[in-house]
Parts: sequence; structure tokens; C-alpha cells
Amino acid sequence: MTHNGISRYSMEIATALLTGAIGLAICYGAWQVGTGWTPSGPDSGYFPFWIGVLVVAGSLVNLLRTVIGHRHKDEVFLDAVRLRSLARFTLPIIGFAVISLLLGLYVGTTLYVLFAMRLQGHYAWWKSLASGIAISVCFYLLFELVFQVPLLKGPLEHAFGIY
Amino acid sequence: MNNLSLLMDGFATILTWNHLMIMVIGVMLGMLVGVLPGLGAPNGVSLLLPLTFTMDPVSAIILLSCMYWGALFGGSTTSILFNIPGEPSSVATTFDGYPMARNGEATRALTLAFMSAGLGALAGVVMITLLANWVAQFGLKFSSPEYFAVYFLAFCSFIGMSSSAPSKTLVSMMLGLAFATVGMDSVSGGLRLTFGIPDLVKGISFLVAVMGLFGIAELMVTTEEGLSFNGIKSRIRIKDILRTMAELPRYWVSLVRSILIGIWMGITPAGPTAASFMSHGLAKRFSRHPERFGKGEPNGIVSPEAADHSAGTSALLPMLALGVPGSATAAVMMGGLMIWGLTPGPMLFITRPDFVWGLIASMYLGNVVAVILVLATVPLYASILRVPFAIIGPVIVAVIFTGVYQVANSTFDFWLLLCFALLGYLFKKLDYPVAPLVLTMVLGHRAEEAFRQSMVMSDGSLTIFWSNSLVTTIMGLGALMLVWPLISKLVGLRGWRQRLHRQKPGDHKPSTPDSRA
Repeated sequence: MTHNGISRYSMEIATALLTGAIGLAICYGAWQVGTGWTPSGPDSGYFPFWIGVLVVAGSLVNLLRTVIGHRHKDEVFLDAVRLRSLARFTLPIIGFAVISLLLGLYVGTTLYVLFAMRLQGHYAWWKSLASGIAISVCFYLLFELVFQVPLLKGPLEHAFGIY
Repeated sequence: MNNLSLLMDGFATILTWNHLMIMVIGVMLGMLVGVLPGLGAPNGVSLLLPLTFTMDPVSAIILLSCMYWGALFGGSTTSILFNIPGEPSSVATTFDGYPMARNGEATRALTLAFMSAGLGALAGVVMITLLANWVAQFGLKFSSPEYFAVYFLAFCSFIGMSSSAPSKTLVSMMLGLAFATVGMDSVSGGLRLTFGIPDLVKGISFLVAVMGLFGIAELMVTTEEGLSFNGIKSRIRIKDILRTMAELPRYWVSLVRSILIGIWMGITPAGPTAASFMSHGLAKRFSRHPERFGKGEPNGIVSPEAADHSAGTSALLPMLALGVPGSATAAVMMGGLMIWGLTPGPMLFITRPDFVWGLIASMYLGNVVAVILVLATVPLYASILRVPFAIIGPVIVAVIFTGVYQVANSTFDFWLLLCFALLGYLFKKLDYPVAPLVLTMVLGHRAEEAFRQSMVMSDGSLTIFWSNSLVTTIMGLGALMLVWPLISKLVGLRGWRQRLHRQKPGDHKPSTPDSRA
């Protein structure tokens, strides 16, 4: 952390470490199923293993380029103001995913639009709720009736007998 | 004229009211996703793809490809009226398009853009019509090592042609290949890289990846920028349109040059974005009045637009004839082809000529429909951007979630979506290219299969990749692409790449210019 937010330097390092870790996980997963040679050709893990090695190698280069070259040292990745607007956008999305799992996509959509409009646009309760319900109804008409692809439903729809 | 008669057959396939209506719907939806922030062509096509599973492939490909044309046009509209590129490939259009619109000539700027884009696209389709059969014939000579060499060439060109650091492109690309291997191994039938998570057995869908990387991530960057739209009011008058059309022949030099650039960059996987930047840069360099560029110079609108669209259409040639897509959107469409049970590549020309030539014929008609529709509906789409982002943003997120659920009716994909969104956000802000990840995810299975079959053929010896002149040439080209940044540095060709870096619109919608839409 620098005085005015997260520096790009630290994020470059964090991302290189993240991709490197994914690369190691790929190598480990590939090693589990075998990376060698079988009578019928290369084993299942042969191809992914070398892909994983390349991911790790690329991540190492990215890490060293940043650290040794002192790249992006003075650049700001995210400051407090931007972090707040980003949080107002992303937190409702995570909530949306959780509620959709428990109550289905229709209830999830209604609640998500309601809270996202309140948080991001400071709209009145009734306007946000009306938009949420309107969008859910549109989804129902479009997907269930026009395209006939069922979306995820929860206990509420079951209570009303909608399947 | 064998190709011509095949093309006529194609027209016969698609000239039904049903297909014409699908074209109009596709173009309208495409313009919508092109105009909306956070939804681009790759994302729009991914969202629509699950709805086409039950359609017949000809109608489905018409819908998706027309959506692509519509999105390309929609992207130019916002570039000119709002100075916000709706698509990464229309960044270069903002340089002269927005200044001209601000000078009170919005109709002239839009007409110039749409007409040159339409001409560029038509040139691309003519090229496909003439070359498709020939390339497919050539492709029939390929066996596994040659195919792997072609994929190798495509992967190397990403590293060589990208404006990002080569190591970042490598990481992005290899992650895509790795994600493609998760789940069932198609050769041995065993499971791999599932880490005991039952939901990973079905693999990671590239559609979920596209929606996270291009959709949610783009919206995250957009909200962070605190985007506000200051659009130019535009009224489209027929008289202005006709007058602008009459002045179009004056720019024929720029048009021809840009179309050639676009076709070349579309066939090689450099993509429409690089093509439009390069074309704008060259137009300025060859101009007698370079000082007029950036202030509303007509050549500065005609050049990137013609190159963008000719590259966008040309990108479908390698996808159809060889099974190697030239852009992210082409990659998603190719994924669609495989889901519909078609195998992209030379055999498709023999097994399903109605599909191939129907698609090519629909590209002629679809682009004409798109030019007319876009001119007629610009005010309507411009008004959509005046709806506050606090309403549009959540609606787009909800649409993406429903789209993700439709891919496999799996709630686990919600979490995958969020992971890809985080990855895409980091990648976008740290200048990692995202498009190579999607392309390799679609190509992963085929690339691995080609590699493993070659290895079986040669009993594990890598020498099979330079065992005959054809495969050696392709591998050699790949190696050349890999060291291309070094060569171009030595020859001093880096001008347009630096320009690409410099003119990134930092204070507007942040679009990494190298993400090939």
C-alpha cells in the first residue's frame, strides 16, 4: 500500500504470483494422472504438465521483470475513491450469486437489481423494486415462454407452483 | 466458376423470410451489445449461443454472424458520438470520428464510417468467396503434425504481434490451454485436473470464461472509471447521407490500402484491432496533410473503419477453412460450430457445403442489412447510452448470470464466472491480453489431439514437426513470428506499435487495443 492506494507494482507482483500458483497447480494435477509415456502414446498429464511449466516460466519472467526492472513503481493501481465504487459494484454481484444459489435466479435478479440500483444510483426504494420485478418478469417471458429454456428456480417459485 | 455457382446455392439456402428475419434480429442485437459498455461482440455471441443449441446450424450461424456485424457497427457508433469505443477495434475511429461529430458533422462522420466499413466487409467476403475453396483444398493435405504446426503458428503470432509484453501473452495463452484440458481427457477417457471437485468433471466452458473475462471484468473497469456519457445529439438527414456517399470515391486510395491491411491482418491472427490502428497510422503517414489528423480528417475515419471490418470478416476464412479462428469472436463462433456437431476445417466444405456457402452468402446480405439498419436506428441506440449506468450495469450483470446458467444448468459456473471476472479485471488493468486466453481455450482440445496423434505417429520423437517441407515451412513461420518483435525492432518497424501504446484512451472506456474483438 502506498499513501494514495494500492500501487501497480504490488499488483503486478501479486498477479504474477497468482498465475504462477495456478501454473504449479496445473503441473501437480498433471503429475497426479501421469506425465510420461504409455503404450498408446503420451499420458493424459503429458500435455497439461508442459503447459503448466510454461505458465510458471512466464509468471517468473513477469515477476522478475517487475522486481528487477522496478517497473510501475509509482503507478497507482487503485485509489480509495475507485475502490469504493468498485466495491459498490462487485459486492452486490457476490450477493447475487449466493442468493441465486439459495432462492433461484428470479428472486436473485429482483433483489440484486433492487440493491444495485440503491447502492450505485441512490434510486428510491419503490423505483428500484419495480425495476427488479420488471426485469425478472421480462426474463421469465423471454426465457421460459419464448425460448423455452428453464432458469434456476427456488422455493418461492415452487410455493407458487411454477416449474 | 465453381465458387460462383456454390455461392448462388448459398443464396438459395438463405433467401427465405425466416432467415431474413433472423438476420435483422441478429444485427439489431449485435448493435445493442456493441453500444452497451461491458458487452462486446465475443460476449454477445456467447450469451446467444446457448439459445441456438436447438436451432438448425444454418439459422444459428446466420444469427451469430449477423450479431457480429451489428456489434462492429454499434462499436463505431459510440466511438463517433460518445468518444467511447464500444469495441476495442473501434478505438482508432475515435481519433477523427469524434472530432468531426463535435464540429457539427455527426451525420457525415457516421455515414463515412458505416459506408467504408460496409465496403471493407464486402471486400473481405469477396476475398473469402474467391479463396475459401482453395484454402480448404490446401487444408485437406494436412494431417496431425501439420495441424499442430498451424496451431503453433497461430500461438506464436499472438506473442509476436501483440502489443503486450511477450511473457504476459504467453501466460494468458497457456492458461487458456490449461483450462481447456480440465475434466475428461478425450483420448484416454480418464479424468484430470479436477482436484476432486465433481463440478469440474464436465470441464470449464469457454463461454463462462468469455462472459467473466469480457463481460463482468469490463463492467468492473467501467464502474471504476466512473463513466459518464457526454454524447453528441445527432439527427440523421437523408440529404446529408447522400451527399457524404457522393464524396466517398475521393478517399479511394485510403480505402484500398485499408482493405488490404484489414484482409491481411484478419487472415493472420493479428485481428481487427491491430488492423484499424495500423491503417489509421499509415493513412496519416502517407497523407499530404498529416496535421489535419485528430481534428476530424475524413481519411482518418475511412481508414480504420474499412480495415476493422475487412479484418473482422476475413477472420472467418481461417476459421472455416482450417479451423483456426482469427479473432476472439470467431473463436466463440467456432466453439458454437463444434457444439452444433460440425467440425470446422476443410472437411466441412465437403460434408456441409450448404452450411459453408449459406454462411458466406449471408455475409454479403447481412452486411448490406447492417449498413441500412444502422443508419436508420442510430438515434435509437444513442438514446440507450443516456440511460444511467446504475440501471444498465445491473441489468447487464443479470443477463450475464442467466446466460452462464444456460450454458450447462450448473450453479458451480457462477463461481467460475466470478473467478474469471477477477482474472479478467487484473489482466485488463495490468496489460495482459485477454483474447489469446479465449482462443486457446477453444483450440485447446484440437491442439492437444493434433500433438498427441503426431507423437503417436512418430513414436515420441519431436522430429516429426520438421519431417516434410510443408510442416517445416509452417513451423518455421511460427518461429519467425516468435522472434518478430526482435526483427521489427532491428528494421525499425515499431512505429505503429508504439502508436498503439501511446493512443490508448486512458480517460475513457479502457480498452486494451490488443484484445482482438
